[in-house]
Amino acid sequence: MSFLAPLFFVALAALAIPVLIHLIQREKKQVIRFPSLMFVQRVPYKSIQRRRVHNWLLLFVRLAALALIVLAFARPFFAGQDLGGGAGSGAREVVILLDQSYSIGYADRWERAQAAASEAIDGLGQADRGSVVLFSSGAEIALRSAAAGERERLQAAVAVAAPTAGATRFAPALKVAGGILADSALPRREVILISDFQRGGWRGEEGTSLPDGSTVTPVLIAGGAEAPNAGVTAVSLARSTFSNQERVAVSAVVVNRGTEALVGGQLALEIDGRSIQTEDFDVEAGSSESVTFAPVTIAGRFMRGSVRATPDALDADNAFNFVVSPAEPVRVVVVDRGGTGSAALYLTRALAIGETPRFETTVRQPDGLSDEDLRQASVVVLNDVAVPAALGRRLARFVEAGGGLLVALGPRAAWPQGVDILPAALEQRVDRTRGEAARIGALEYGHTVFEPFRAPRSGDFSAARIYGYRAVEPEASAQVLARFDAGAPALLERQVGAGRVLLWTSTLDLSWSDMPLKPVFLPFVHRAARHLSGYSEPLPWSMVGQVLDASFGEATLPMGSAVVVTPSGRQVSLDEEGSDVLELTEGGFYELRAGTSESVAAVVASNVDSGESDLTAMDPKEIVAAATSGTGTDARSNSAGLPPLPEAQEQAQRLWWYLLCLGIALLGADTLISNRMSKI
Amino acid sequence: MSLLGAHTPTAVPGARFMDPVVLARIGNLELVSRAVCDGFINGLHKAPYFGASVDFAEHRGYVPGDDVRRMDWRVWARTDRYYIKEYEAETNMNFTVLLDVSKSMDYGSRGITKLDYARILTACLTNLVHQQRDRVGFVAFDSEIVEHVPPSAKHMDTVLHVLERLKAGRPGGSMRKPLHKVAEHFGRRGVLVVISDFYEDPEAIVEAVSPLRFRGNDLVVFHVLDPAELTFGFSDAQAFEDLESGDQMPVVPDAMRKEYVSLVNAHVEALQRRFSEVRVDYTLLNTSMPLDHALYKYLAGRGKRTRLR
Repeated sequence: MSFLAPLFFVALAALAIPVLIHLIQREKKQVIRFPSLMFVQRVPYKSIQRRRVHNWLLLFVRLAALALIVLAFARPFFAGQDLGGGAGSGAREVVILLDQSYSIGYADRWERAQAAASEAIDGLGQADRGSVVLFSSGAEIALRSAAAGERERLQAAVAVAAPTAGATRFAPALKVAGGILADSALPRREVILISDFQRGGWRGEEGTSLPDGSTVTPVLIAGGAEAPNAGVTAVSLARSTFSNQERVAVSAVVVNRGTEALVGGQLALEIDGRSIQTEDFDVEAGSSESVTFAPVTIAGRFMRGSVRATPDALDADNAFNFVVSPAEPVRVVVVDRGGTGSAALYLTRALAIGETPRFETTVRQPDGLSDEDLRQASVVVLNDVAVPAALGRRLARFVEAGGGLLVALGPRAAWPQGVDILPAALEQRVDRTRGEAARIGALEYGHTVFEPFRAPRSGDFSAARIYGYRAVEPEASAQVLARFDAGAPALLERQVGAGRVLLWTSTLDLSWSDMPLKPVFLPFVHRAARHLSGYSEPLPWSMVGQVLDASFGEATLPMGSAVVVTPSGRQVSLDEEGSDVLELTEGGFYELRAGTSESVAAVVASNVDSGESDLTAMDPKEIVAAATSGTGTDARSNSAGLPPLPEAQEQAQRLWWYLLCLGIALLGADTLISNRMSKI
Repeated sequence: MSLLGAHTPTAVPGARFMDPVVLARIGNLELVSRAVCDGFINGLHKAPYFGASVDFAEHRGYVPGDDVRRMDWRVWARTDRYYIKEYEAETNMNFTVLLDVSKSMDYGSRGITKLDYARILTACLTNLVHQQRDRVGFVAFDSEIVEHVPPSAKHMDTVLHVLERLKAGRPGGSMRKPLHKVAEHFGRRGVLVVISDFYEDPEAIVEAVSPLRFRGNDLVVFHVLDPAELTFGFSDAQAFEDLESGDQMPVVPDAMRKEYVSLVNAHVEALQRRFSEVRVDYTLLNTSMPLDHALYKYLAGRGKRTRLR
């Protein structure tokens, strides 16, 4: 018999208490007060006997109760035996979870992790089955439920594995392990979790739980060479225009998460594989440094940039990649009646200002709007013009194909019958030149157009005075985004096909309102045009683990013919994968090519999760406790391949419970006996 | 002896057998002493001790300074010499009880402690004497003098009051010091009664008590003991604690009863012998015995001695 907490035997000293009670306390209670011991003391000592125990049964019961309780606290168990069944005996289903996140590449950790996995495989018995699951941000079963004859394959699966660019995430791995264990018919189920246990890999709310009776053995791979660990965690790109050439200034943040300061480090800016500029930097342990490079001219589309730090103990986080392309303007066609005193003056001037995005404005008369104009344009603005039926139908096709249409009404505005894309039917003018002018009273701040004006003092639409507007009858599918103070709609939106139509019921010049003179005019026009064009700023980089869908980069190729070239040079045909999405698994640049051609349709920069470079380890017990929170599961905390741990055996046998019950029963018996004796 | 036998008290039925335990429960010492003494006096009214207080004793020669009124003129007429008549006793005497109130007296195995017994006894004696118009006084002592009521005919109530609130507080040491100190204060002849359990060496006790007999005092000693002290009737082996010193020791009564009883008897005999040598009346009182028994025992002894003189 062995004991889990033998130190509790110190409490056996408490056995002296009942003995003392029997020998001392009981005698003291019956002290006889006598006038004088003068004569008693004269009697020779030989006649005075030692005190003796009066009730052996009571003493024995008390001693036995105390001894049993102490024994229960010492948590006894029979080593190597199976008393509880279940997890204690029989063949094992062992799942080896091997962390292959990039942080395990720090120093010699990966070699040690492989050695631990190999040792766990060696520890499998003849009847045991073993699985190897490699995990980082996702989990992948390398080999499932390999029998005794497949040990070599298990070892090979571990040997060929290598650290990936992914971050540590324990939940997917535990779910996969739980699935393997749940399918197993073997009586004992064990998980051996080999990892560096980074704090970032576990939030504690994953809710992962293994099947009942499972045990989890964490193997912590920590330590190694103590060295500086610099990582480029972020890059900011500041665009500017210099002599009609667009330039970008790159600033990088270097964080040293190692235990020693990094002195004399170098940070290189690489553009399209060539080193452009190198900056020296020093960074203390646990702090960060910002390095700004000289502006670089953006030569063409998909300019690949990397900021690379000096190699150190953990290489994966030393480079940060990004893709920069010249800013694409949003092309806007303003359809105006033309002539002197063009009503589109304020509109075109407002759209001429701004960089993100830049608007390229073309003014056309209704009869001069060509198909080429519509093909190039993202947004068409109808500024108080009467639209012929033919133009109306072309505009309808334009909108359904994804274009944006902004219709500003005025005295001349008219819309052909039979073309149903406007959010409302146009009616008569409402004249507010007499009396008080109308003002914009209610705005739908939740909408993209008005969202920047949500905060207080972020633009006052009610300052604009509206002297006239067109009464409209909203369509059922239209949404009213703004209303005048009398409740009449001021701005309406309708989704038509892939595009949108915005209807402004007053003019965008000074004929019916003074809104173009108000500060809110310019941001309002920008937001409306940006919303209608569906413009979104292209992301300079993505993170490993993200999934790319059909909107790969800025390309809109048919996915069936697309080929993706990964940073390692592997070509993946998206239709071969069986799905039209691709998960980023490597750090570097992913290229999208159209079929077999060499032309690059899109480039996406992929970076590793910078949080993974923080090597701070968590307490593995936290994961173990969460994974084994169900009844009957248990945790072990040493290396794998050994017989069940004492904790597991003790938990299975639960002898302490019986001992404690027996001890308490004896205490009850003691109470009964002593009560009966006191009555006698 | 025949006198005693002929005058067994019968006036108050049952008083003879009145249990000290019952008396102790009454609490009021005046009531108790009166109840005991009334029956006692009625039964003893012919005893020679009473009514003999002013008898003529002897003649002695006149010395200058004697009161001429006490001169016996008839003797002068016959012999032509001056003689003074002297009488047997004063018209009223001093009667003082000296009571040991050390902690050992605060013991009782059967409902009444030795101190209570002694208090009742004191009250009875005092009441008895007071009814004869004698002066009564009282001294309580342990290792020091605790209470002192000088003898006076008016001090009966005071004595009872002091008795009432007596408590055995301190351990008693040697009784030599307090008794010697008290002896210096008795300037007038009288009767002194010492009541104690005498847990001391007999020689030391006699040496402590003897000075009380100086100046012609008549000394009576009551040795009060509990039945348990005499017979040591304990059975279980237990720890015994000395009331005086607080010392404890384990005792197996069965094994040592014989030796103990013989030691106590030897002590009593030694006291009896030594007191008789110095002409002190010694009486051993067992608290299980009725109080009047103690009184009889005492008075019988007094009567014998009176007749012998």
